[in-house]
Amino acid sequence: MGAVYSLTLRQLTGRWRLVIMTVLAALPVVFTAVVVRDSTTPFIEEFETIVLGTMLVGTISPLIIVAIASVAFGNEVEDRTLANLTLAPIPRWQIVLPKLAASVTVALPFILMSALVTSWLAFNHDVLATWAVTVGALAGLLMYASVFVWLGLVTRHAMAAGLLYIVLWEGFFSGYVSGIRFLSIRYYSIALMHGLDPRRFVAQPNVGLGAAVVVAVAVCALFAFLSTRRLRRMDVP
Amino acid sequence: MGPVPEADLVSTNGSAAPAVGTPAAGVVPSALSANAAASAVIRVEHVSRWFGSVVAVSDVTFDIGPGITGLLGPNGAGKTTLLRMMTGLAEVSDGTVTMFGEPVRDNPPLYRRVGVMSEHEAVYPFLKGRDFVRMMARLRGVENPEAATEKAIGLVDLAEAAELPMGTYSRGMRQRMRLAGTLVHDPEVLILDEPLNGADPRQRVHFQALLKRLAAEGRTIVLSSHILEEVERIAQTVLLIVNGKLAASGGFRAIRAALDKRPYHVRVMADRPRELAAAVVRLDSVDAVNVDPDGALIVLSRKVRELQVELPRLAKEASISLRRVEPLDDSLESVFGYLVEG
Repeated sequence: MGAVYSLTLRQLTGRWRLVIMTVLAALPVVFTAVVVRDSTTPFIEEFETIVLGTMLVGTISPLIIVAIASVAFGNEVEDRTLANLTLAPIPRWQIVLPKLAASVTVALPFILMSALVTSWLAFNHDVLATWAVTVGALAGLLMYASVFVWLGLVTRHAMAAGLLYIVLWEGFFSGYVSGIRFLSIRYYSIALMHGLDPRRFVAQPNVGLGAAVVVAVAVCALFAFLSTRRLRRMDVP
Repeated sequence: MGPVPEADLVSTNGSAAPAVGTPAAGVVPSALSANAAASAVIRVEHVSRWFGSVVAVSDVTFDIGPGITGLLGPNGAGKTTLLRMMTGLAEVSDGTVTMFGEPVRDNPPLYRRVGVMSEHEAVYPFLKGRDFVRMMARLRGVENPEAATEKAIGLVDLAEAAELPMGTYSRGMRQRMRLAGTLVHDPEVLILDEPLNGADPRQRVHFQALLKRLAAEGRTIVLSSHILEEVERIAQTVLLIVNGKLAASGGFRAIRAALDKRPYHVRVMADRPRELAAAVVRLDSVDAVNVDPDGALIVLSRKVRELQVELPRLAKEASISLRRVEPLDDSLESVFGYLVEG
């Protein structure tokens, strides 16, 4: 698995991609820094909705991950180099997991720093709140990465499909249609934050910490399985 | 020298399920067919593949044994689709493909015995050649990747460029390094799709010698090409694919002989075409002569090699200047067209 992992790391760490990721990851930090300096500091609910929910977990984080995870397989399909991997005498899951791990590895520093610094600034160096936000964001990273790695195998337009998903599903429908919220990664990431620091955050209705953890694990496992199955069944270009 | 094996010419004018060669008669010279059928390494049985309403490969059946087999056909004939199904990269719509008696599709343990080089010349541009081959060795579970890498790079004679990123390689160098990656785990079966694309003449000679050596060691090698002469130099047996169907199969010389029986059209430009036509029509090698409105002679010949010798001699004797002599239908497509119509 090491060969696939190190190959994917090399593929995903192009200079321009890293520059764009850095800029995206810095946005919530800059926004928060401006907000906390302002005398008209918003209520925690407003901050949570706008910066943590919508900006960090709902937009910036998935944008960073879609740009990385969707090309983990997508580039190989596009360049027609995937056969180098699928013709190796190894089980398909030993191709999927290193791809997923490499995507998480590349996205991790950006998401981690963005969530860590944003919450550290916003909650006035409160360790528990910072921990809750960071863990919630990292759980989101794992779930989004699983989905977007799979997406890279099912469509040649994974990036566009991922962006549509982020904007329409995570951004629009899950915000306004209550039923869809339960099928939203953002919702469970925030539920984790709430569960980890009940002092700061009001508990999410209907979803406790345990349920959020179970859903996060289930989403990762489901999409890793779907990627493996897709790799076994697809025509490799 | 033994008798020339008879080619198995197959009509492809039939319906969606044409009668094709039997597995045993498919590829191997008939004198060896019984043994070869028993020792078939790759078995393709009634394989079809369609994409929507487009049939890319239609009911193809053949066996391939050790040695070099050329898969020959014009561009778009279905060679690549067939090879992709033979390697397990693509699903068959109908039929079965087995290798060493096992299904090739979704069978990773089998891939340890197979080396595949696709027609796509894509490489990882950021990887050095040596790193690429080493990665292929590691992916294929080679026990000593370092030694295998050096050996494979030596086989393709590219040690001097092994430390350069593959993005800087010429097309021919990329192909050779990809071949090294294909050979690094010492596979028993090699499947190569248009492997000589981009190779210069010296590289072609080197490549052909290498393939012959590998085949002599008992490997089964299948390579595709749309260039007749290229396959002629390497392959002992040939599969002709036309319009997704097996048009002919057998020993190369037998197929070549069958091709030689077809009439060729040759266009001749000369300064006195009608006088040349009168002289040319008397040659034994010529079946018919027409003079085009633009003054060109269209010569129909079944003995085109004799014509190549006699035509200049005749023109010289009659003091007629030949300005241009060109085959009108020497392309593989026309060869296959002849076979299909025949």
